[in-house]
Amino acid sequence: MFIYIIRKLLNTIPVLFGVAVIVFVLFNLVGGDPTYQMLGRHATASQISELRHEYGFDQPKYIQFTQYLKQIVTFDYGRSYATKQPINGMIMDGIGPSLSLMIPAFFITTILSVAIGLWVAYYRGKLVDKVVVIFCVFGMSLPMLAYILFGQYYFAYKLGWFPISGFETTWPERFQSVALPMIIFIIVSLGYDVRFYRTAILEECNQDYVRTARAKGLSEPRVFFKHVLKNSMVPILTNVVVQIPLLILGAFLLESFFGIPGLGSITIDAVHNSDFPVIKAMTTLDAMLFILGNLATDILYTLVDPRVSLK
Amino acid sequence: MDSRAEFEKILEVKNLKTTFKTEEGTLTAVDDVSFNVYKGKTLGIVGESGCGKSVTSLSIMRLIPHPPGKIAGGEILYRGQDLLKFDASQMRSIRGNEISMIFQEPMTSLNPVFTIGNQIREAIGLHQKLSKTEIRDQAVEMLKLVGIPAPEKRVDDYPHQLSGGMRQRIMIAMALSCNPQILIADEPTTALDVTIQAQILELLKELQQKVGMALILITHDLGVVAEMADEVAVMYAGRIVEQGNVREIFREPKMPYTRGLLNSIPIMNKDPTGKMKKKRLQAIPGIVPDLLHLPQGCRFQERCSYVIPECKQQEPDLRVVASHPLMPHKIRCVRNI
Amino acid sequence: MTDAIQKRSLWMDAYRRIRKDRIALFCLGIVFTYSCIAIFAKLNFIATPWDKVVGSSYQAPQWGWGGPLELILGTDIFGRSVFYKVLQGTRIAMSVGLVSSLISTPIGVFFGALAGYFGGWVDDAVVWLYTTLSSIPNIMLLIAIAFVLGKGLTSIYVALGITAWVSLARVIRGEFIKHKSRDYVVAAESLGASHFSRIFKHILPNVSHFVIINLSIQFVSAIKAEVILSFLGLGLQGQPSWGVMIDDAKLELSRGVWWQLFGATTGMFFIILAFNILGDSLRDALDPKIK
Repeated sequence: MFIYIIRKLLNTIPVLFGVAVIVFVLFNLVGGDPTYQMLGRHATASQISELRHEYGFDQPKYIQFTQYLKQIVTFDYGRSYATKQPINGMIMDGIGPSLSLMIPAFFITTILSVAIGLWVAYYRGKLVDKVVVIFCVFGMSLPMLAYILFGQYYFAYKLGWFPISGFETTWPERFQSVALPMIIFIIVSLGYDVRFYRTAILEECNQDYVRTARAKGLSEPRVFFKHVLKNSMVPILTNVVVQIPLLILGAFLLESFFGIPGLGSITIDAVHNSDFPVIKAMTTLDAMLFILGNLATDILYTLVDPRVSLK
Repeated sequence: MDSRAEFEKILEVKNLKTTFKTEEGTLTAVDDVSFNVYKGKTLGIVGESGCGKSVTSLSIMRLIPHPPGKIAGGEILYRGQDLLKFDASQMRSIRGNEISMIFQEPMTSLNPVFTIGNQIREAIGLHQKLSKTEIRDQAVEMLKLVGIPAPEKRVDDYPHQLSGGMRQRIMIAMALSCNPQILIADEPTTALDVTIQAQILELLKELQQKVGMALILITHDLGVVAEMADEVAVMYAGRIVEQGNVREIFREPKMPYTRGLLNSIPIMNKDPTGKMKKKRLQAIPGIVPDLLHLPQGCRFQERCSYVIPECKQQEPDLRVVASHPLMPHKIRCVRNI
Repeated sequence: MTDAIQKRSLWMDAYRRIRKDRIALFCLGIVFTYSCIAIFAKLNFIATPWDKVVGSSYQAPQWGWGGPLELILGTDIFGRSVFYKVLQGTRIAMSVGLVSSLISTPIGVFFGALAGYFGGWVDDAVVWLYTTLSSIPNIMLLIAIAFVLGKGLTSIYVALGITAWVSLARVIRGEFIKHKSRDYVVAAESLGASHFSRIFKHILPNVSHFVIINLSIQFVSAIKAEVILSFLGLGLQGQPSWGVMIDDAKLELSRGVWWQLFGATTGMFFIILAFNILGDSLRDALDPKIK
């Protein structure tokens, strides 16, 4: 068990390094020199070289790379081009608003979709199952932007049930400002998630051990909620944990539309402002979180599947 | 002792018919199958894969996946009561308690995420009113019975920690934990190594004598049947084509299909000089007919070397060729060969 | 020999099943229609010129028989036909799906086959590469690539092509691992077939249906990604893509101008729905387990 965790931890090192290489190659080699973009066409040569020096672009590539690695380790990504603020401060400020939207949204989505997935898997092939699956496929086929635009227009603007945009930092009000984006997030995610969980559970329903359990004389609910459910925990857990880094990233479209100053908004602003270091920092950070999430999944597996620790 | 008591009829399957809906139409996997099972005796059901032998056994347990499968007709009388008329909860009190089943794949038939003890205790706790410690003791007792070494320790193992043969022993322990009257073993040794096969068969035989249950043994291996069974039913394309007590059938197979099966077993005999006799193995030519497009007349006609025009007109009925008080020899063939 | 028969019957079976599946046929019809629209728009047969002013600014849709076709979905801020823009958007969406698949499919098959077939350090390297790539959340990677390469259709093609091969490579790798020890491959080896011939002539045809299934999934994600990138201003400029239209709609809705959003969303909805259902049907039809 302990060795298993250590091994998984060691396995993440080459992946972390790989991410660093890819991000570095993208931004520092392929992307070229961003100083021209920042200063505009009329910059003088001395202005450019001054800025290049300030950001270290005049250094050899390998030094730039070691500096980038140092940034990752020390969690100090320098300053934003656009706002001149330290990036780690911006990230710290953004986490709160992102989480206050995403944590409730994520929990409700997960509970709802696992519950619906179980429900329709239990009644597989019956009418409810078919209706829910059709709804899921239809729901999945609409772009998220359409949900956002329609929801904001109709429920906030037309009916006035929710604030159109904006973010309150005080508590009961904060809930109000995230309510509508939260509902939209849940509806958008439900289609994919329910289908995913349903498939994962049905896959288990066809296994041999289910037949054995029935042959013992167990009732259907017992077969389903004891034997099938525990086995389908592995795919369910995977899908849940994989989404955690996306939570911190925030549903950036939602944040941007509803004026929630979270990490998603920061990313979108950075894209609009061509704010190189911020995008680079966000990309790196997300990848790190994702790798951590995977590590967490691997460890959680040992709780639900006794075979894992031996592999 | 009264011979009637010795041969107590415990299960009677009458004209069982099980169908499956497929995209190309409804096929009858088990067609008009009848047999009796006697207390303490073993019935072997033999046939090639797809002949309906597994479907027959799942039908008795009423574990045919529905849809697409359906028991379309017949009766399954367990101690005189028709199981097909039972509701779901009555049926559950039969399964695992009165009639148990073990399967071909010991690797996948146990739930990988629960300990074997948990899975055995579940069956015991379900059918018997016992306290927790009694249940635990009985689970260990069952493991001991099927020959698991150090059962007190093994009871907390997960299935993946055991070998295939051990897992099949666990399956047997689980199936026998409530002293069932009938054990259905669906290809119990097919997935195992040859040496382990012999051990498992030996164990089944021994337990049968100890517990006195009836055994329905489903297999494609005539060698296993010769070893274990009292009565044999040979199935072909959903029908029983030959049936009777085991000695009779092995001595004088009357149906060309059974002969074909017997000829395809390798037999190693030494002749008096001590040399191995060489007997050429004969395979049955052709393939099993598609159940959706059965030929008119006998289902075996296309592969049969004794075929006559009459075989193509009407499917023969099962007819008695040699009488026996309990296990008369019957064949579904018009010829007398 | 036998594997040729098996393969043929697999595809024949699939063909028979799809032909019986009315819904899948209908979805194929939708895909075909969209492809025709895309080709005709590309050849300037229909919806051209899309930037011609056909009415006043934000003219509402005109329904009814005999009305001008270009006004069926109203006009945008410059008085251009929204209907034409939706049709031209189809061209862009379909081309993004097609070109990105053309880039990612060979990469995915190549790496997947190599890793699955050879195993060892080749496998380690490929798995490392795609684990690394998939560690960066897809949308961030897309943003980063599109951002670095600059705006325009080409960088969208490349960004989607580079990111999308991972899922295919995973599947193909898994299938190659399964197939490489099967009898027919071992038989080919014992007859002296080279690695190259075993990979491409023997195994690949037996796993090729996964490529088809993956294509429908990839079209969906490509079309969705194009919309988000265009919306973020990283995609097309001055072209009538669905993403750009939805981006426009964000300011128009409060004025009651819903038709750009409606047009672009409807356009997206049917093609994504068709690919979603088709993906499922193909998977069922090509699955040799279900018989």
